[in-house]
Amino acid sequence: METEFSGYQVQTEFFEGPLDLLLHLIRKNRMSIIEVRLSQITAEYLAYLKSKRGINPSRESEFLMTAATLIYIKSRSLLPKPENPEESPEKQLIHTLIEYEKIQKISKMLRDMEYTELLLWRRLEINENFANREYELKEVSAFQLAEIFFDIVKKKEYEQFLEIPSKNYSIAKKQEEILYLLETSGYIDFSEYVSRLDSIEEVVVSFFTLLEMIKRHMLIAVQEQLFGTISIFKNEAGKLDN
Amino acid sequence: MNPEEFNRHLALIEALLFVSKEPVEPGRIMEFLGISDIEEFEKILATMEKDLLLDRAERGLMLKRSGGGLQLVTKSGLHEELKQFFTVKQATKLTIASLETLSIIAYRQPATLTEISLMRGVNSSGPVKNLLQKKLVKITGRKQVPGLPALYATTPEFLIYFGLNDLSELPSLEELTELFEEKEQPSLFK
Repeated sequence: METEFSGYQVQTEFFEGPLDLLLHLIRKNRMSIIEVRLSQITAEYLAYLKSKRGINPSRESEFLMTAATLIYIKSRSLLPKPENPEESPEKQLIHTLIEYEKIQKISKMLRDMEYTELLLWRRLEINENFANREYELKEVSAFQLAEIFFDIVKKKEYEQFLEIPSKNYSIAKKQEEILYLLETSGYIDFSEYVSRLDSIEEVVVSFFTLLEMIKRHMLIAVQEQLFGTISIFKNEAGKLDN
Repeated sequence: MNPEEFNRHLALIEALLFVSKEPVEPGRIMEFLGISDIEEFEKILATMEKDLLLDRAERGLMLKRSGGGLQLVTKSGLHEELKQFFTVKQATKLTIASLETLSIIAYRQPATLTEISLMRGVNSSGPVKNLLQKKLVKITGRKQVPGLPALYATTPEFLIYFGLNDLSELPSLEELTELFEEKEQPSLFK
């Protein structure tokens, strides 16, 4: 699992989590899960944790949690046992380990199936790999849209110079306007569109109209890249509407 | 069905499958061609499979049943050359974290994030998000417990991705244990 290169170690694999490490230790010691004495492998587990060997840094807290459980089990094993052994943390942990071992087996099987399937090419893959797509269009959620909306409202706040008596904006009218825009230009660049509007009232009405239309699957909002601009398209016959 | 009609059907099915991006439901083809007898339909498929594709070394395609549909796919032995020709990098495989998460969802569906995280011993929101994005799992509802956590289940894409026709084709846990015990036994005597 580890290779040495000019003085420093390259770790190629992490244990997926504390359960993975525990199973590894049980196998290494040639124990069976059912008969395992967890107190025996606690020391080894702690040694791994100390040296950080195979410990995924972003998962360290979960490794520590299990360490605490192991130490608790060990300390209990030193005391006389008055309680019902059914509820012991040791039993619980062993049960979790047995279940986790099954998960590992299923994962292995899925990995094999994935491998077999990846050897078979389908038309879909060729299309995906060949379409000259510069970027992947990703559908965005209403929340991302809202975030941009509030950014723009903030900008607008500084821009107001004079008060103009407010027009009456209606969602129905806005909807017509948006549909007309889409007919003529094909898509709407969300930020650009909103920044062209006259007042905060109009921005708010436009935004609600857009949300409503997206909700009704009349439109679709896509983002070309993270933090990129959001474009609005007509939802062609519910293509993405599952 | 006379031989002429049989051949015509055969040709049409092959053409349909060739053009289609996704697996095509057999029922749809049968309805379209006006075939009501499933055995007759299967006979056409068997002819296609044996005489035209699978058993013929000079043919590059084979008939595949996955996700409850029929699909033409390339034969597995051609993978390396195809990769070279199309200059495609190794297809990205799922990470172990994603596979584990998917295992739990597949066998326990519908499952909540908390259940998944407990079984794996680590927080699993990352892999769940990844699987949602890949459309291998979807939210099917909310569990009626405090917090109304989302319930996750596998999708038709999951079946296609792993070459399954339906979920019942996944081996049961007992079968799985036997499967791996057979494989692992010899190593004990090394």
